[in-house]
Amino acid sequence: MKICAVLRVVPDLVEEIEIEETEIVPFAYIANERDEHAVEEALILKEKAGGSVDVLGVVDEDTASDVDEPLAMAYAKGADNLIKAILSRKTFRRYEVAKGLAEFLKDKGYDVIFTGIQAIDAFAGTLGGMLARCMNLPYIGGVVEVDVQNGTLVVKKELGGGLLGEYRVSTPAILGVVSAERPLKFVPFAKLKKAMKEANIDEVDIEVPEIEGIDVLRYYEPPKPEITLLEGDPEELAEKLVEVLKEVSVL
Amino acid sequence: MNVLVFAEVVENEIQEITYELVGKAKQLGDVTTLVVGNADVSNINSDVIQVDAGEPLPWHYKIVEKVFEKLKPSAILFGNTLTSIDIAAQFAAQLDLPMATMVTDISAKDDGFVATSLVYGGKVLVDLALKSPAVFVVNRGSFPAEEGKGSVGNVEKLSLEELGVSDGIEFVGYIKPEVEDVDISKMDIVVSVGRGIGDEANIELAEELAEVLGGVVAGSRPVIDSGWLPKTRQVGRSGKTVTGKLYLALGISGATEHVEGVKAKNVIAINIDRNAPIFRISRCGVVADVLELVPVLIEKIREAKG
Ligand SMILES: Cc1cc2nc3c(=O)[nH]c(=O)nc-3n(C[C@H](O)[C@H](O)[C@H](O)COP(=O)(O)OP(=O)(O)OC[C@H]3O[C@@H](n4cnc5c(N)ncnc54)[C@H](O)[C@@H]3O)c2cc1C
Repeated sequence: MKICAVLRVVPDLVEEIEIEETEIVPFAYIANERDEHAVEEALILKEKAGGSVDVLGVVDEDTASDVDEPLAMAYAKGADNLIKAILSRKTFRRYEVAKGLAEFLKDKGYDVIFTGIQAIDAFAGTLGGMLARCMNLPYIGGVVEVDVQNGTLVVKKELGGGLLGEYRVSTPAILGVVSAERPLKFVPFAKLKKAMKEANIDEVDIEVPEIEGIDVLRYYEPPKPEITLLEGDPEELAEKLVEVLKEVSVL
Repeated sequence: MNVLVFAEVVENEIQEITYELVGKAKQLGDVTTLVVGNADVSNINSDVIQVDAGEPLPWHYKIVEKVFEKLKPSAILFGNTLTSIDIAAQFAAQLDLPMATMVTDISAKDDGFVATSLVYGGKVLVDLALKSPAVFVVNRGSFPAEEGKGSVGNVEKLSLEELGVSDGIEFVGYIKPEVEDVDISKMDIVVSVGRGIGDEANIELAEELAEVLGGVVAGSRPVIDSGWLPKTRQVGRSGKTVTGKLYLALGISGATEHVEGVKAKNVIAINIDRNAPIFRISRCGVVADVLELVPVLIEKIREAKG
């Protein structure tokens, strides 16, 4: 089975992010968590069905080097080929990215393309479903498990509230992963460093078309909470919390 | 203007978010709600088109497309749910329509719309201008459901054959959640751990706190995904909704998908980041390191209980 997984980078929310009216300025970028799960599930499918996994890092010029480590991580876990797809311009519109990527992916012959179901900066579309329409392939998101039976994918999808649905999906198909079926494999630092040295990353330029219809007016911070936050030394805070627990009749 | 709402149906039941969407849509124009499946639509406060096509499936964007051609709506509203997002994204791409996701507000402006989206894990709002017709994927709880409830208007029934759409993905069946020792949605006191707990070994600390409070331990998605707690303990969109007296959130940021499952009467949050979105839904917020505060808190609770 020829498998591809899309890997994007997003602002690291553990660090400060600066919110300007016209843009978000992150301090650092990390792999989009749901995409990390997509890569993991791609590797799990390779274990089950054989074949190869290509990981497609999707970046723009500003973030081009931020995806090197996540790509090397995928390599350390067993990915076969690493590709860096550099978008010709920055865009928040997923549909534009989908159109650009579809052009590149259409003749690659992948049986399954995995994406994360959503990225934390996805306010104008989600990539998987849009890519599917640009490539005329079936799409299903919320995926938490993939098996193969008689050449057909058998997919488990989350429906919310703990409920899952099972679906049969013919290949080629695009799957939007929410979580891989097992925890992300841990890669020791030494192994990651080695992968960083050894891994070969091919680069391709992706032309991003311009599609009208949606513009950002402004970015801004949500209103501050109405409560006063408690701060101080643990002793003092714990005493205050005990009082609150009494107020709500838990104690 | 015409507004189309795509109903959220799970196991043949209309979900609450549908009424929230209908309520908002009514402020924008004349509403038709598209319902896939045979659910009871009598409480939907709008006209309805009901399509006998079984469970909602990702390829049902084709049904929305047909109904769109028929009604020519200016706005199409979907819920930000695991079912509807698959359909919404494909529908928007198929018809080249602008799409706003994670939406918390919509208003008509000039000949288009302004939408507000809550992104970056709940840390940033963004206002967007969209040309009409536009697609909106709206977060649960953004609008009151009351306005969307009432008695249904005209109900038109259509079959898949009439719409001329064909299959792509086949539904096999539901897999119900496992039944565990405890059902966190029914517990009065829930101590919930997020990624901020740092390490699997620290879950013990939360367990001890839950024990002195007479509650149970739950967690956010990363904690469950890491295998530190069983799946049945997940709080949020994909997991359970807690509705008891107290939700004590330890090192949980408060992403939209998480807080959707937090309906407890009192939320107390401990987080090292004073800008953590979880504080916006909290009755009491503490800026502190959980690993430093929780052991002291356990002692103080023991003392208070005598
Ligand atoms: C379709 C979909 C469905 C989802 N469903 C769910 C769901 O059901 N449930 C769910 O939880 N998530 C769900 N998510 C994921 C969700 O978007 C968030 O990624 C997740 O809730 C984040 O979990 P967290 O708050 O534990 O981690 P993070 O967002 O990483 O937050 C960790 C927090 O801990 C704080 N912290 C760090 N160290 C300390 C310390 N020592 N002391 C105190 N605080 C500390 C940090 O400041 C931060 O706020 C879903 C996502 C998608 C796309």
